[in-house]
Amino acid sequence: MATSERIVERRRVFQQYKEDVKERGKPFYPFAMLHDTIMSLVVVAVITGLAIVWKYSTPGDHHTVEPGWLGKLYDEPADPGTINFVPRPDWYFYFLFYLLRIFKWPPTVVIGTVGLPTVLLLILIAIPFIDIRAERRLSRRPVAIVASILVVISMGVLTYKGAVAKEALGTELVAKVPTWAKKEGFAGNQQAIAGAKLFAVAGCLNCHTYLGEGGTNLGAPDLTAEGAKNKGIAFQIKHLQNPASVNPGSPMPSFAGLGDARLKSLATFLEASKGPK
Amino acid sequence: MATRRVTRTEQLQQTILYPVDWLEERSGLVGGLKYFLFRKVPGDINWFQTLGSATLTAFIVQALTGSILAMYYKPDPNSAYPSIQHITNDVWAGWLVRGMHRWGASVFIILMFMHMGRVFLFGAYKYPRELNWVIGVLLLAMGLAEGFTGYLLPWDQTAYWATVVGINLNGTAPFLGPFIAQFLQGGTYINADTLARFYAIHMLLIPGAIIALIGLHLYLVVRLGVTSPPWSREAAGTGSIIPSRNGGRRGLTRPRPRRSR
Repeated sequence: MATSERIVERRRVFQQYKEDVKERGKPFYPFAMLHDTIMSLVVVAVITGLAIVWKYSTPGDHHTVEPGWLGKLYDEPADPGTINFVPRPDWYFYFLFYLLRIFKWPPTVVIGTVGLPTVLLLILIAIPFIDIRAERRLSRRPVAIVASILVVISMGVLTYKGAVAKEALGTELVAKVPTWAKKEGFAGNQQAIAGAKLFAVAGCLNCHTYLGEGGTNLGAPDLTAEGAKNKGIAFQIKHLQNPASVNPGSPMPSFAGLGDARLKSLATFLEASKGPK
Repeated sequence: MATRRVTRTEQLQQTILYPVDWLEERSGLVGGLKYFLFRKVPGDINWFQTLGSATLTAFIVQALTGSILAMYYKPDPNSAYPSIQHITNDVWAGWLVRGMHRWGASVFIILMFMHMGRVFLFGAYKYPRELNWVIGVLLLAMGLAEGFTGYLLPWDQTAYWATVVGINLNGTAPFLGPFIAQFLQGGTYINADTLARFYAIHMLLIPGAIIALIGLHLYLVVRLGVTSPPWSREAAGTGSIIPSRNGGRRGLTRPRPRRSR
């Protein structure tokens, strides 16, 4: 159909719709409004119910940080100098959060952090301008059906994966330090061992990997052979204090809160990690 | 000339209606409300089409509970966490208001996605409703931005570190990244100003934009009308032309198009 014909046709069809609704439609009040009101009451009831379950399933006097059925009422107070943290967004960002595991720092991580969300948003906005057919019956819109099924499945899987993603536990990791020292050959270096212990408990492995341990979040690189790059202890300390100052655009947070002495140990450990022998 | 006596009933009616007439004469609002309430909608709209108003309800819950929380919450790093504890444990029904705001956020976001899914599957974004789809996508993006900025406000460990990383992620954007990150943080690092800034964005900037866009969204719904379900035989529901002027649409009961009558 030529474009001008299409425009004339769709105007005519909309005109017809307006006449049809005028002739045979029903007034919004009370018919549609009744349904809307019932649905709205259900929404308010569900929200209230969640709030009640959240509080009353929490054990203790509610000053605790013990989780109830719907999670904690609050976590420990924020501490910028903390040495153990797990960066975790609210559940509706899990799909983006998990998606970031696919991308690796530095070359492709920007695609995951900014590129993909922007592209998804632009595709959403563009939908009515790409799909300009008047057809609305699902049986005749196979592309739309397949696309929506794929989107629902992938978002569901990514959200689920993000929800069950295991966090590295500092206490379990610290037990692995002697093995690491043997494999990497820094068993005789006391400062490197102290750094390795810090590395295990400070939450580094929530994003980075080391000898097969840890999560691959936010595109963080593997550090098994970080020392083989011979960047030097001074560089490592500077990077830990302010990652973006030496790696522009790095999403890694600052670890300046650890203090100079501990940063030195951590840097020594990283430089001593020349890869498994 | 005999003037008709005004009966008591008429007098009463006039007294009651006087303020309504007064308002209508000066604003036209009564006529507007009447038009909104008694406008015709297709006879075969169904329950899935209540998702939009359900989303609006969830937003209103967020606005009301958020306003109450704002009366007790203190957006500075030293008192934010204690003020949340105060709301949860001391303020009368504070736990309920905070819980409703916390979980209402999730419900709001789920409903936005469901509403969008309904509009997509019904093909309701097609001519002449393209613009309303675009406004809806912007509302979705702003709803998610509300989720991101609100997450920091309790100022606990989860909130703090998720936001540190979240800001850093924004910072990876080419060209604009560092500026976005600096704007969000109110400086080169996350600091005391960051919390106040997130609070202002969360409760003034984005909600204002959301309210304006919802107004536009609803205006277009009323102006363009509600779509009937795609299985309906009503004219705008299909790509085919229905020649008949009568019986063109009987909704669910008419599986096949009727060519003529």
